[in-house]
Amino acid sequence: MSYIVPIGPYHPALEEPVHARLYTDGEAISEAEVFIGYNHRGIEKLAMQKNYIQTLVMVERVCGICSHSHALSYAMALESIAKMKVPKRGEYIRVIIAELERLHSHYLWLGIALHIIGHDSMFMHTWDDREMVMDILEELTGNRVNYGMVTVGGSRRDITDDQRRDVLEMLAKLEKSMDRIKDFLLSDKTIALRTQGVGILTTEDSIRIGAVGPHARASNVPVDVRKDAPYCSYDDFEFDKAVYPSGDVFARVVVRVLENYESMKIIRQALENLPAGPINLGNRIPKIPAGEYMVRHEAPRGQLCYKVVSDGGETNKRVSIHVPTFKNAPTVPVMLKGNSVADAGLIIASIDPCFSCMDR
Amino acid sequence: MQEYKKISITKDEIVPTARRMKQEGRALAMIHGFINDNGRPNVSYEYEVGPTIESYTVDGERVLPTISDIYDQAAAWPEREMMELMDITFEGLDASKRLFMPDSMLDGQGQIIVTPMKELIEKTHKKKEG
Repeated sequence: MSYIVPIGPYHPALEEPVHARLYTDGEAISEAEVFIGYNHRGIEKLAMQKNYIQTLVMVERVCGICSHSHALSYAMALESIAKMKVPKRGEYIRVIIAELERLHSHYLWLGIALHIIGHDSMFMHTWDDREMVMDILEELTGNRVNYGMVTVGGSRRDITDDQRRDVLEMLAKLEKSMDRIKDFLLSDKTIALRTQGVGILTTEDSIRIGAVGPHARASNVPVDVRKDAPYCSYDDFEFDKAVYPSGDVFARVVVRVLENYESMKIIRQALENLPAGPINLGNRIPKIPAGEYMVRHEAPRGQLCYKVVSDGGETNKRVSIHVPTFKNAPTVPVMLKGNSVADAGLIIASIDPCFSCMDR
Repeated sequence: MQEYKKISITKDEIVPTARRMKQEGRALAMIHGFINDNGRPNVSYEYEVGPTIESYTVDGERVLPTISDIYDQAAAWPEREMMELMDITFEGLDASKRLFMPDSMLDGQGQIIVTPMKELIEKTHKKKEG
């Protein structure tokens, strides 16, 4: 007997609205479709009416998790058009916030994955650790979500010696706790049963559809903008690409756990070698000459692309935002095929979707 | 360091360029559509070539061939988005379903990015009243 099972647009396993239509054959999914656009706010259109600083504030609100990534990418595009050289200290502060953001985003995802699997006590442990990162972000920036740390030409706030010490202390605690979570995730039988062999995306499919970020790395595709096309002084730091070959939900868990360690490594190096000097080129409304540029940034979910076109006037001529979920969401129907309906929520969530980012 | 290289091509070169890039194993980072003040469309295909972005730009063409048969969904979704928001059409692309916009939104495709904000608001209000 075949049925069509709709999931969403509003569903307990999804934090944001998306609609998936599953064509089932008994318990198994034979075909699937994904429909998006429930959060479309027309941000690209609005960006064409606003000046550069207003747009910087607005693009930070594209996403509630990777807000810094959006502001950073937009600022980098403007700086590239205007050929500005951002001071080294400003770049290091940007990297520290970007990596803290990656940490809390990955913790958030781990918690949600555990919640969907049904392991609520571990979900609370991961979110407890996430709170440590959020508290530090609040201490550094004054905010838990939209940090406002980026300005065109550098960073807006400095990191003091006291704050530096606090971050390092937090990282020591976090790493100990991460070891415990890692041992649990990699050895628990329930986790293995729910994740291993579920929602497989092969390397070929991943390359064919063009998946990015941790989702691609979990299918053995070693792409990472921080290594492949360094920006923001990322080439000053030593870290590895986290790659895992199996391509199932378990691989996505492993990749994110490994990436947490890499992020901690980068933050430590950046704090220990924080260069002296100014943090920005002066906080004024910038003059942007005519030109266009496209930048890439490794956001927590993968490659984030910003293309800005300017004609030398007050406002943007065009801002194009291509987010990682826009590239990863087309892989969902491929992954769902052949799996059971009960795993659909977990498989959709396993790409770490951010539909607000995608719909813009 | 990231770099950006702009290369102008004609409409006929889009598909051969995409084929060559696919053969070389380059990823398609973005398809960017833009309509300038004179209503002239400008579409660029941004390929990742190491740390450099090679931007192949086609100027002044309103109807373009699709490259979704070469780059699959990585090209199909941006092309569908552009067809909805701008007055640009891709030949051979399956755009039978809406991607972002609801079916009821603004009859006549592809004007949202170009239409001035004031007119868009007026049109939406008229639709609600009607």
